[in-house]
Amino acid sequence: MQRAVMKKGNSTPRVSKAVITATYKENFAYRNQMAVSIFVQPIYFLVHYFIWQAIFQTRDQVSGFTFDQMLLYFAVSSLVEFMNWDSSGNKLQRLIQTGQFITFQLRPVSHIYFSFCEKIGQRILAFLVEILPVMCFYILFGIRLIPAKPVWAVISLLLSFVLSFLIRYTIGIFAFWFVKTDGVSRAVLLLTNICSGAFLPLNLYPQGFQKFLFYLPFQFVSYVPVRVFIGHYELAGITMTIPQIVFLQAVMVGVMFLVNRALWYLGIKRFAGVGA
Amino acid sequence: MIHVSDLKKTFTSYERGSSFGEALLSLFIRKKKIIEAVKGISFDIEEGELVGFLGPNGAGKSTTIKILTGILHPTSGTVDIMGFTPWKERKKYVQNIGAVFGQKSQLLWDIPPLDAFYLNQAIYRIPDSEFKKAVNDMVEMLDLKDLVKKPTRQLSLGERMKCEFIMAMLHKPRIVFLDEPTIGLDVIAKGKIRDFILEQNKRGTTFILTTHDLEDVEQLAKRVIVINHGEIVFDNSMDKLKQHLGEKRTVHITAKEKINLENRDGIVVRKQLSDYDIEVVIDLSVVKLNEFIQKINEESEIRDIAIEGPELEQIIMKLYSV
Amino acid sequence: MTGLKPKKEAGKWRFSVLGLYIQGVKTALASRMAYRGDFIMSMFIMMIVEFSGPVITMIIYGNGASFPGWDMNEVLLLQGIFLLSRGISFPFFMGIVWNTIGRVQEGTFDLLLIKPRSILLMSIVTAFDSEDLGKLIGGILVLRMALKRLPEQPLSHWISFFILFLFSIILMFGFALFMAGLGIVWIGNYRIYEIFMSVMDFGMYPKSIFSKSFQSILTYIIPVSLLASYPASALLGSVDKDVILALLASIVFLLLGLCFYFKIVRNYTSAGG
Repeated sequence: MQRAVMKKGNSTPRVSKAVITATYKENFAYRNQMAVSIFVQPIYFLVHYFIWQAIFQTRDQVSGFTFDQMLLYFAVSSLVEFMNWDSSGNKLQRLIQTGQFITFQLRPVSHIYFSFCEKIGQRILAFLVEILPVMCFYILFGIRLIPAKPVWAVISLLLSFVLSFLIRYTIGIFAFWFVKTDGVSRAVLLLTNICSGAFLPLNLYPQGFQKFLFYLPFQFVSYVPVRVFIGHYELAGITMTIPQIVFLQAVMVGVMFLVNRALWYLGIKRFAGVGA
Repeated sequence: MIHVSDLKKTFTSYERGSSFGEALLSLFIRKKKIIEAVKGISFDIEEGELVGFLGPNGAGKSTTIKILTGILHPTSGTVDIMGFTPWKERKKYVQNIGAVFGQKSQLLWDIPPLDAFYLNQAIYRIPDSEFKKAVNDMVEMLDLKDLVKKPTRQLSLGERMKCEFIMAMLHKPRIVFLDEPTIGLDVIAKGKIRDFILEQNKRGTTFILTTHDLEDVEQLAKRVIVINHGEIVFDNSMDKLKQHLGEKRTVHITAKEKINLENRDGIVVRKQLSDYDIEVVIDLSVVKLNEFIQKINEESEIRDIAIEGPELEQIIMKLYSV
Repeated sequence: MTGLKPKKEAGKWRFSVLGLYIQGVKTALASRMAYRGDFIMSMFIMMIVEFSGPVITMIIYGNGASFPGWDMNEVLLLQGIFLLSRGISFPFFMGIVWNTIGRVQEGTFDLLLIKPRSILLMSIVTAFDSEDLGKLIGGILVLRMALKRLPEQPLSHWISFFILFLFSIILMFGFALFMAGLGIVWIGNYRIYEIFMSVMDFGMYPKSIFSKSFQSILTYIIPVSLLASYPASALLGSVDKDVILALLASIVFLLLGLCFYFKIVRNYTSAGG
């Protein structure tokens, strides 16, 4: 990697490497905060364990899930959530509201690219401090964290990583139009949680709502990668093979990127027009 | 009014390595590090004084102020302010003091200062009549008019700082601690704030001013305490401070003829811009100013002259660099 | 000097603890009203978030599953009580956690220490969280819905419910003290409250679904079962006698919380931030 950079003399990968390392180091100071997850996540998981244990006392299946699959669902979706978490939206909001984002306009690297590299750096640290310990807990707890189709699972996880970034970043752009966006970002966060499947497997919701969810981007953030991990996809009565749903996920990433760029363009235009 | 004797404060901190291994090790073995922030200082301040409390960053200045305001306990030593030991009778004591921090606002960003005043009225239990009178008086003194009814965020920095003063002085404190009260203000706003402080001081309020703005000190303080490395290195009047490095004046002269001031006692040439234009520092204990001017005028015929007093900045720099 | 002695004039209840608290609430509301649109939006979201627990319950029961021994409306009642307890504690005093963490980090905690009132009172007065009123509304709505669907309860059940509910709030206050104390030690760690939120999660479900050892922890050590499980059982008229131990545990918890908080504050003032 490093050598390729030298040969091509292309500066972009070098910038990304610098940003990733810098963010990693910057966040290292907050490793104790991240480590709170090591305590918190097992507790949340235990609560889920007891809830579903009680429910499965009287039956073998809930909406096609066995008890073990249900636990696996929650374990994997929590890991996906850790992996995908980022604060790019909030950061962008602050930059726009304080006018500081102009300094990025003067740099040769686009802000979205910079921000994405930041997320990578941050998540590498999170992988070491949060994700690995919590994974250990799950394994000790007896959860079989083995994907049904490893290659597809990795692709789907990577796509969800990019998509979750694009969604949050796009929300940040709304700061061009609203002075204070706490409410809006809270609303979207909640919506994402409910509609992505981080909360409950989406196929437990009423049929009509499932159909609606199928057409939103959110299921591709959590529900789809978790389902791909387990090895079977089904929503709103629609069953798809793993390659099919992953392809759909890739399309959604493309669409979201275009939406993001379009909003950014409009936002910048508005900003330049209004002045600040 | 304020008696401080042999005040000491030491902090214990633990060294923590920066590498992962060191951080892991520090869970078991911790290297203790004792920092003496204040090393046994003593001073007295009388009612109605206006004292400048100076020192470089990390000298123990803010630790001392924190102890004097009851926020921090000292390691040893005694403090008696108006009969209180600040950290022991904190609640009773702080009823009688006020504080303005240039960098920590006590106002509330989104609501008018007046609403924040009301909150302070409840906190300090100020009767309505006194409260109204105090607000009206100070609003008039500071020329704020209806600005106190506008949301704080819409006020200029200077207007905000004026409101900070009202906030801090509503309960008629006998002592007011000021920390960088004019930071970031423009010249006019600074002047207004300084006038206000002087006026309140005239009416009997004691002020203790910590700042890095030497102009504040020069224009306000009658007495200066300089602290460095946890010890008091200077405690005397402003005039004495100015004489600290000897009585010197900087003189800038432009003349018609060539000026030659080389090798004369008590005169140091600082800048020679041309043969006709020179800047010198004269030591008044060696050379008398009027004689010096007369002589130069005879020799070279002065066209223009500017005399500057002792530069506080240099004196302070000298004190800080010990 | 007039400012010297606090005057005890007639009708000066405004300067009492409660009066000061109300002034704090007024100030916080006025601040938040500066962004009315965002405030209403945030409050609405807070309310909707609170529905998530009950909605999960409804979805679970909708799929034909259930918690053994509890029908859906009883679980909703329990969760409504849980949300009510949160809805009272979050806006009115839980804000001290965030307030303390933020102030210690920015160095403005000192500004509270130069006020002539108890530091705990000052922390509460400056911490009213108006958005969390949405939680209160959400809790009331869920509780009302559950009560409508359940048969009416006799007065005796209501009395024991109110007593236990008071302890639910006491327990919350204990949590607030521990978290605020931790916030002083653990500078800038905004995730502290998650520890508490996660432990609190145990309180949103009937005590009986947990294993025996967990039930003991949730009753005698950190009596989370008092948050909603016991008050709900009391209202439905089926409290077990362990409740006495839970009540004792909650009082011990509150006292420990107070000791912890004031010890930490003392450390803060003797060691410096």
